[in-house]
Amino acid sequence: MNRPPMLMHIKIQNKERKFGLWLPLFLLIPLALVILIILSPLILIALLILWPSGYGRWALLCLKAAIVSFWAMRGLKVDVQGRNEVVYISIV
Amino acid sequence: MSENKKKILEMLAKNKISADEAYRLLSAVDGDEGGNSTAGHDNTGHENTGSRGPQVKTKSKYLRVTVTPNPEGVPDGKGNLFQDGNVGRVNVRVPMSLIRAGLKLTSLIPPEALDKANNALREKGINFDVRNIKPEDLEELIEALGDMEIDVEGGRGEKVKVFVE
Repeated sequence: MNRPPMLMHIKIQNKERKFGLWLPLFLLIPLALVILIILSPLILIALLILWPSGYGRWALLCLKAAIVSFWAMRGLKVDVQGRNEVVYISIV
Repeated sequence: MSENKKKILEMLAKNKISADEAYRLLSAVDGDEGGNSTAGHDNTGHENTGSRGPQVKTKSKYLRVTVTPNPEGVPDGKGNLFQDGNVGRVNVRVPMSLIRAGLKLTSLIPPEALDKANNALREKGINFDVRNIKPEDLEELIEALGDMEIDVEGGRGEKVKVFVE
């Protein structure tokens, strides 16, 4: 099984401003898990309400797809330099 | 004829893949069927999915797209933030696992959107049903991407490379 992403580095720079951010995903993931656990009764109720109409299964599949996509993002690197802007995104 | 080869030929007959892709898939299947599968790792970060002497198949981990601008075409610096030869540089690395996850998202596309996509393709003269794309077919195509390398030199001297590592 792949390891989840640990760190995210974003750097965006243009003529007017400069923006840089280091996101510690290894801290945000446990936090997201705690929030998920706290909200799980509400999520369960929402799924039970939506299930007969077919949207419940779709919602579960979307959630699974979002988690799988996030888990697979480790190693993503985007480095683009234009004439007056730089965009750098790296997920480690 | 093995089941995998039969499947590849069926996909080619139904125009799901081109002849070039079918050739690559058949070569990959020949390689898989011709040797032992001993898992292991090498120093370059690839996983060795087989040891067959000269036909060692390594599992691709990243799709890379790079654009290297022409170093002679350095902008004059007027109004540019970066006055070096790196303007127009692109370096993108996408993990293959992310591509697989993204392709599996196609199962979440509503049927109405698929119909619109099919109609748009038909208008362009492409008689292809996107519903026929299945995850197992895409997996074989992704495996075949390991042999892909695109190298283009533009009119202004910039170099575009698309490859898998």
